[in-house]
Amino acid sequence: MTRAWKTAALAAVIVVLVLMLLPYLWIFLTSFKTRLDALADIPVWAFAPTFDHYPKVFIDKGYLPLVWNSIIVATFSTVLSLVVGAPAAYVFARFDFRGKEDLFFFFLTTRMAPPISIVVPMFLLFTTLGITDKPIAVILAHTTFNLSLVVWMMRGFFDDIPRDIDEAAMMDGHSQFGTFLKILVPLAAPGLAATAVLCFILSWNEFLYAFILVAFEGRTLTVGIPGLITPHGTLWGQVAAVAVVATLPILVFTFIVQKHLVRGLTFGAVKG
Amino acid sequence: MINRRMGAIVDRGMAPLLLIPSVLLLLLILVGPFLYMVWTGFTDLHFALPGREGSFVGFDNFRRLVREDHIFWHSFLLTLKFVVWVVIIEFIAGFALALLLFHFIQKRRLFLTLLLVPMMLAPVAVGLIWKLLLQGDFGMVTYYLRLIGVIDERTAILSDSSLVLPAIMLIDLWQWTPFVTLIMLAGLLSLPREPYEAAVMDGAGPLQLFRDVTLPLLRPIIALVLLLRGIDAFKEFDKVFILTGGGPGIATELLSIYTYRVNFKDWDLGYGAVCAFMVYLVVLILCAVFYKAVFWGGGQRSRRAGFAR
Repeated sequence: MTRAWKTAALAAVIVVLVLMLLPYLWIFLTSFKTRLDALADIPVWAFAPTFDHYPKVFIDKGYLPLVWNSIIVATFSTVLSLVVGAPAAYVFARFDFRGKEDLFFFFLTTRMAPPISIVVPMFLLFTTLGITDKPIAVILAHTTFNLSLVVWMMRGFFDDIPRDIDEAAMMDGHSQFGTFLKILVPLAAPGLAATAVLCFILSWNEFLYAFILVAFEGRTLTVGIPGLITPHGTLWGQVAAVAVVATLPILVFTFIVQKHLVRGLTFGAVKG
Repeated sequence: MINRRMGAIVDRGMAPLLLIPSVLLLLLILVGPFLYMVWTGFTDLHFALPGREGSFVGFDNFRRLVREDHIFWHSFLLTLKFVVWVVIIEFIAGFALALLLFHFIQKRRLFLTLLLVPMMLAPVAVGLIWKLLLQGDFGMVTYYLRLIGVIDERTAILSDSSLVLPAIMLIDLWQWTPFVTLIMLAGLLSLPREPYEAAVMDGAGPLQLFRDVTLPLLRPIIALVLLLRGIDAFKEFDKVFILTGGGPGIATELLSIYTYRVNFKDWDLGYGAVCAFMVYLVVLILCAVFYKAVFWGGGQRSRRAGFAR
């Protein structure tokens, strides 16, 4: 009885997994298909692969700088959010002051802010400042959600460190800031790293802010995707190649932070 | 207590010093634009029409939104419909999958890892993948759906106004069900044993255990998942933008797509600001509910009310 149930459950889970992975497998395969195979009436599962699409789209069509832009934007947005956000998280974890939880809630609302609402005035503001089409515009935009992610996640990680440790460090003559920097930050390093990777992923995957704020030189990889789709004659092999490059590194990162993913996705509410 | 002693030993000025940069940054990049948006909503700013330089027009834009703009309300209802359906279905499917994994499968790590793939892809890439799969003349999914007779030879899902919205919901289901599974499984794994032992002692069957023990214990996490998914679904833009751009006609013009069109296609920025404000307002309300439901009470201890181990 139990054995039969187990087998049935296993079968169900495997079916779900196949359904979840097939679409991604398909775009991966398409990036190695010739035009004829990609556009065949009957789906082609086995074919002689071509490796033309990657150099064509990234070198000939000049998509390589977009990868670089994505890296720049995601890296700097992550660094900015961590440098500014981690100390704030520490304050939330260790100090009590009036209105603390309200301020904390304010950080949550900024994480949830709908990009479509913020990007309109941001576009006007950045046009006035003359920084549209520059990576800095997207870096600042992405910091709107990454900063609060850092504050929420890191507060949890700092909360996990017993306060006795602070006290002991200060008995040893560390200043309070010294305790934070030299004792707590190293102790929270795994959490810090996980938070950083999540910030990087969120920024890398983001589309709307980047799409509105940069149009030419500063385009990130996600912004480059719609440009490849035309009403007629979309080169699906190349589109697929861009999609694979835009997603594969992120999947690798995901597996690295998997342990902390639940906490990151729930703003520290569930520890996972 | 420790806090007070720390304060006595060290400079009290440090807390604000560490906190202020983050608050300032958010004021600059978020609150500033937000206030600017509210202000723009009271003007006639328009980039495509001459003479509309942004002079003050009072509540004209709000009046237009409430009284005249049927498309806005179409989008609003469409978005609500989208949110309610995807959240309910994703929750049921995701929770069921979490229960399967929890009860019947011991080595879950590999499953979970692979399950994460759809939700970690850039939403734009998800839109792209499904656009390829659903192409009318050579899409892989289109082909097999025709083969088993779900759709007929001439139907292309993305340009069929009655099929396109369910299709987008299914794509969202594909992408976000793993999210529900992941969180609910974490919740199931964090539940204490004792209530179960007590209930079994009282002679409860598996169904009763689920209804009377599991569900009540999981309530905070259920609230969390529903609200997080609700807020995110309400903001949905990327996938629909790539897949249909809101079409055919306005069949999939969700609120965010409509707001995009008013602002960046029509360049009617004064009115567009009001639309953007409405989106923000709904999200803020959902957000407040989220905070009350999940982190009720505030304060250190109750911050993770109900599910801290």
